Amino acid sequence: MDLKGLAGGQYKPLSEKDIQTIHEAALGILEKTGFTYESGLEATAGMLEAAGARIDRTAARIRFPRKFVLDHIRKAPRTVVLYSRTGRDDLDLTENRVYLGTGGAAIRVIDLETGEYRPTTLKDLYLLARLVDKLDHIHFFLRPCIPTDIPEDAYDVNMFYACMKGTGKHVMSGVNNIDGFHKVLDLASIVAGGREKLIERPFISIITSFAISPLKLCTASTLIMQEAIRHRIPVALSCAPMAGSTSPITMAATLAQIHAEQLAGITICQMTNPGAPLLYGGIPGRANLNTMGYLGGAVECGMMNAAIHQMAHHIGVPNYNSSALTDSKIPDQQAAWEKGMTTLLTAMGGCNYVHHAAGMLDSMVGVAYEQYVIDDEIIGMSCKVLKGIDVDPEHLALEVIDSVGPGGNFMTHAHTLRHMRTEYFNGNGVSDRRSRNKWEQDGGLDARERGRQIARKILSAPELPFLSEAADKAIRRKFTIHL
Amino acid sequence: MFNFTAITEALIACDQDKVLELVEAGLRQAVPAKDLLDLGLIAGMDVIGERMEKEEMFIPEVLMAAMVMSAAVDLLKPRLAEGEVGAKGKVVIGTVKGDLHDIGKNLVAMMLKSAGLEVHNIGVDIAPERFVEEIKVKKADILALSALLTTTMPMMRETVAAVVEAGVRNQVKILVGGAPVTQAFADEIGADGYAADAGSATKLVKSLLP
Ligand code: B12
Repeated sequence: MDLKGLAGGQYKPLSEKDIQTIHEAALGILEKTGFTYESGLEATAGMLEAAGARIDRTAARIRFPRKFVLDHIRKAPRTVVLYSRTGRDDLDLTENRVYLGTGGAAIRVIDLETGEYRPTTLKDLYLLARLVDKLDHIHFFLRPCIPTDIPEDAYDVNMFYACMKGTGKHVMSGVNNIDGFHKVLDLASIVAGGREKLIERPFISIITSFAISPLKLCTASTLIMQEAIRHRIPVALSCAPMAGSTSPITMAATLAQIHAEQLAGITICQMTNPGAPLLYGGIPGRANLNTMGYLGGAVECGMMNAAIHQMAHHIGVPNYNSSALTDSKIPDQQAAWEKGMTTLLTAMGGCNYVHHAAGMLDSMVGVAYEQYVIDDEIIGMSCKVLKGIDVDPEHLALEVIDSVGPGGNFMTHAHTLRHMRTEYFNGNGVSDRRSRNKWEQDGGLDARERGRQIARKILSAPELPFLSEAADKAIRRKFTIHL
Repeated sequence: MFNFTAITEALIACDQDKVLELVEAGLRQAVPAKDLLDLGLIAGMDVIGERMEKEEMFIPEVLMAAMVMSAAVDLLKPRLAEGEVGAKGKVVIGTVKGDLHDIGKNLVAMMLKSAGLEVHNIGVDIAPERFVEEIKVKKADILALSALLTTTMPMMRETVAAVVEAGVRNQVKILVGGAPVTQAFADEIGADGYAADAGSATKLVKSLLP
């Protein structure tokens, strides 16, 4: 059942008036408080100043006049399409269309065989790409973990390589520096068969954490962001404050601060290259008040992520954000309820590109193979909700009711056969729906163990050639590949 | 007998006005400053530390109490003899080069400060040479390094090496921490200790000081 790109927006935590109030508040924050920056961003500051921003160099403060911001954000495209390489999983990010996928930069994984919680490797990245490729409800592959077993300067190229070798779905990742960005651009151009082809149908995109909340530009990431924007590679403008530590404890203020950070980032990008594709990347989070750690599974995260989509939609920019960041250490009930709540809320909120939605555990630090299988099921069910209930003559089926008549049944009616693949959500097998007897006969496995079995089965199938032999050779000639 | 418990309770309630009022009253009644500190304030911080560990108190409350405590200590300082306050140890703390994460590091710094240590929090993205320099200038007893990225953990090793190189390794105890850091890694790079959170970092520092 293809459930990607359905329209969300049924859950609207903010009223029209709230949206307007928060938008105005954000413009006020940029005008009054502004952003701070550090050395290395003189050119960016100069560019902003020449166009009308007020720069106080002694206090390192950039203040953005309201009209200046509004003039620039208008130039951001309303629609961004992130392509797959197969053509089957293109993501048309517009209005309230919903796609969910992986996210991460996790550094630990629960080993599929031993169950040990160990550092992630390049091979994990490749295997997870292959796994996700076969899980239909995971719509894109954002690099979920870090290859901690290879040299750091080999990260950027090798991460994109492992992802693209394992799946034909859209691939997104961050890069360590500008040099890394250019290498990745070259790598993807080889895969595309030329730079122009890549720019025309970008099947990779870049995340940059350009803001260090509250209201500070990160020099390295801002420069990478601008470089990607110059080359028209789509960029997600990530900023992820935690309510209670890096943004105020209240949800309204957190939304206003994030919106201000996003308006500033979008302004910088659209000034750097007007019309270049980007995603509004506000990710509202929560600080754990007992430890100040990242509290991914908070129900407020689901509420605020739905709300931040409303803010992005208000300025007509597709958005990138998060769901399913549980604080549980293993794929257990807690993981399931936290993931179920936030994923359903973000989907019903109409969020366009929801990352972290599959695989994550341990407050963003870890992943587990079986969790991808379980989350595929959660995402599928959440998207099924978006499909809604069709009420028309065919679906009302009055004739069918009449022809079967009182006391009959619908099991063999053509109408049942006609609709059983769309009206009935039949998951990937991780939900056990059989009799108790059957379940016992098969070993009485829990969801986690069933998830493992499905993951093993997918990974034991023959590898698919997502990279042609010629491309692979050309890549290996140019770069050191550790896979 | 002076009611020290009242100070302790006011501190736990983060009631700055009340704490200061009670401390002032104590001083007027010629209660020794050292007693007000130990039996009133530090007794309160001990309870707070315990409650924090049991997750019965939120971190913002703990930090607020620490601020109240430090305001009260300022009142007592002129009456305390040398060695009775502060000088329990000097800490230089920072996030290693290439790493910009500072929330956890700042939390550790605040907790150490509230435990009565002299803390020099020198920021993020700090090069090994800069740490060495700060150790020398501040005559630090403890060097605390934070890293949140697998890519910056090697910088901890380099920082330890730079401290050895500079000939000041015997002068300081080195502790490391941050989400990807482990006890095994701390041992491997020759650090003196590792702690998983701010509460245990405080205990660790106390145990490492003479
Ligand atoms: C907040 C955050 C950010 C913020 C930082 C804001 C700030 N002012 O610090 C921003 C958005 C800027 C950021 C940027 C990046 N981040 Co970041 N970030 C986090 C996050 C979500 C939480 C960290 C945090 O503040 N925790 C709260 C504090 C209280 O906990 P703590 O830091 O662990 O500290 C406690 C203990 O570790 C210990 N401790 C800490 N330091 C010390 C020191 C000593 C001496 C001792 C004894 C103890 C100790 O005590 C503390 C208090 O209890 C983590 C995920 C996570 N769950 O850890 C990712 C994470 C660390 N980031 C990650 C990444 C990849 C990045 C980026 C590269 C880009 C990106 N994809 O986001 C950039 C890198 C920038 C740079 N060069 O440093 C990855 C790391 C992957 C890796 N390679 O290791 C993580 C794991 C998230 C993920 N899975 O994507 N990040």
